Amino acid sequence: MMKKMMNILMLSCKKATELIEKRLVAKLTSVEKIQLKMHTAVCSQCSDYENQSEIIEKCLAEIHQPNKETLKLSSERKEQILKQLEK
Amino acid sequence: MTSTKENSKTLFESWVAQFSDELFTWAYHKTSSRETAEDLVQDTFLSAYHKIDSFEGKSQPKTWLFAILNNKIIDHYRKKSKQFIISSDDYQQQMKTTDGFFDEHDKWKKATDNEEQHWLDNPEFNSLLLGCIKDLPENWQFVIQSKYILDKKSADICQELEITMSNYWQITHRAKLLLKKCIELNWVR
Repeated sequence: MMKKMMNILMLSCKKATELIEKRLVAKLTSVEKIQLKMHTAVCSQCSDYENQSEIIEKCLAEIHQPNKETLKLSSERKEQILKQLEK
Repeated sequence: MTSTKENSKTLFESWVAQFSDELFTWAYHKTSSRETAEDLVQDTFLSAYHKIDSFEGKSQPKTWLFAILNNKIIDHYRKKSKQFIISSDDYQQQMKTTDGFFDEHDKWKKATDNEEQHWLDNPEFNSLLLGCIKDLPENWQFVIQSKYILDKKSADICQELEITMSNYWQITHRAKLLLKKCIELNWVR
């Protein structure tokens, strides 16, 4: 009985990392939440993965979010735009 | 007639001068390509010029131009996303690329020499990440970034890309594994 319970609760690393990504997209079930918590508590490679995954997400958000620095559109292109409008 | 035309010409001259850099910056961050961003900004002004009659001055010109640009950005990705539709053969094939990360019990294979790496959230890391993204299968590149580019909910993204929710996070999972490996190989401590 205990063994059966443990089998249900213990995830493989592959499955655990899948859940880490699933969580970003969809809601985990309560069982999945517990499974993941238990796994990352004892598996350092998966808890590293969890951190790394977060860093990647943070950087992606940053990359696609304009910062304070405004880039310059080339003056050639600006001229080209105005020229095209005259047509 | 000539005077209206002259008027809108002057108006657009000032708009290009005032707003084109900001529009370009935004488009660049959403597409990671200077050329694409320049084209999108040009298209935006062209569209705006042709439908200037529908601009009633209710909103700020800047807001109006940004709304047009955002539609152009989504269109750009929508066109591209036709290539992203993932056939089940491709999918099976691509999924195999990360099987080697885990052993027969689906546990991590022993990391060889990668003791703990400290990734830092800095510009250097960002450019490494972008480089690694370019190495991913093309249809995955957009999947993993779509959330940040389109600012949309998962369900809408799935609809846009014609994939199921579970496909979506499975692809994210595989893409992340490949990114992890690529970053670990290239990150200089």
